[in-house]
Amino acid sequence: MIEPKRLSQEAERSLVRRLKARDERALAELYDVLSPWVLGLAFRILQDADEAEEVVGDVFVRVWRRIEQHDSRRGPLVPWILSIARNRSLDALRRRRRWWRKQERWERASTAAAGAMEPASAPAPHEASVPGWPVHREVHAALAALPEEQRVVVVLAYFEGLTHSEIARRLEQPLGTVKTRLRIAQAKLAEALAHVKDWMA
Amino acid sequence: MTDWLGMAAHPRTPRPELKARVVARVLASRRRPVGWLVAAALALVIGGGGGGAFWAYRTIGALTADRDRLAAQVAALHDTVATFIHGPATRLIQIAVSTGGRVGAVTIFADSLRHRWLVRCDGLAPNAPDQAYQLWFITKEGMLSAALMPMDTDQPMVMALDMPREGGPVMGAALSIEPRAGSTGPTGPMVFHLLL
Repeated sequence: MIEPKRLSQEAERSLVRRLKARDERALAELYDVLSPWVLGLAFRILQDADEAEEVVGDVFVRVWRRIEQHDSRRGPLVPWILSIARNRSLDALRRRRRWWRKQERWERASTAAAGAMEPASAPAPHEASVPGWPVHREVHAALAALPEEQRVVVVLAYFEGLTHSEIARRLEQPLGTVKTRLRIAQAKLAEALAHVKDWMA
Repeated sequence: MTDWLGMAAHPRTPRPELKARVVARVLASRRRPVGWLVAAALALVIGGGGGGAFWAYRTIGALTADRDRLAAQVAALHDTVATFIHGPATRLIQIAVSTGGRVGAVTIFADSLRHRWLVRCDGLAPNAPDQAYQLWFITKEGMLSAALMPMDTDQPMVMALDMPREGGPVMGAALSIEPRAGSTGPTGPMVFHLLL
């Protein structure tokens, strides 16, 4: 098994400094470390490889342009980049939703992917070598530990970008119930992942 | 939403060629300020072109309307002149005048059938800024103003005038130099005074 690259807090700080100094090698290193996760998140949301790759390009362009805005005191680099990836993916998803001809295909793909998250305990070998995999396992485990009704609202909110009202309509549940489930789930996730400070955890 | 939740998605190995594409795109974006300048310049040119096109459209429209209006006036004047010249009851009166040391002429086509005059003035000296020529009908009851003709340039002038309803038959015509606003009766130098 290939030993994954480590992105410790110190390495992250160094990477950010180099990115701010417009070091192109730092950009390549960041891509090597993060592109599988950015692509994975974009694909999880979009269920379309081509669009997910476009999002990867968008994300790294934005990171390169806005790296000055990243404040390490407010949080690590990786969640910041993942939030960009999520927002870009949801933007693309919303554009696509407006494109009614693709709607049906997206629904099918989304339904196929909607079930339980894939077990983290049996990753494909090449995935296991991806840097950050331990964090993935931690997050995956925290999500899987949620009761089904809470996990569903988290997945719909985070990966499909649905509003509380949309989730309530989708699940045919009262709005208040959805909000409560989401609030409880967020608290549990925050508690379960509070120790995740470092990319490699 | 929890910061790290994006990590719940399974990673995907990017296609090898994606890295070169992404890096090239990122580095190209660094030069985008110039691109933006070019785009801004293009937008300015296009916007200017659009504005120019709109201005041209408006101007051409206005000029077309002016041309049509003038063409209608010319056609009407042509009809009027033709009527006067070829009318069986038209009488031609030509009066030599001298204004400002130069010799000119006032030509009157008097149509007694339609009770109209066509008056053409040639070679009149331009007026002083506060003066104007004023043409008068001479009637039994006195002078009635026929037309006020401020002349600022040395150009011929043509007018079609209806005969006055009051004052009785028109017996003649006169032309005087009056204040620019005109007078109710001749007060200034008389250019000509003619009884028909």
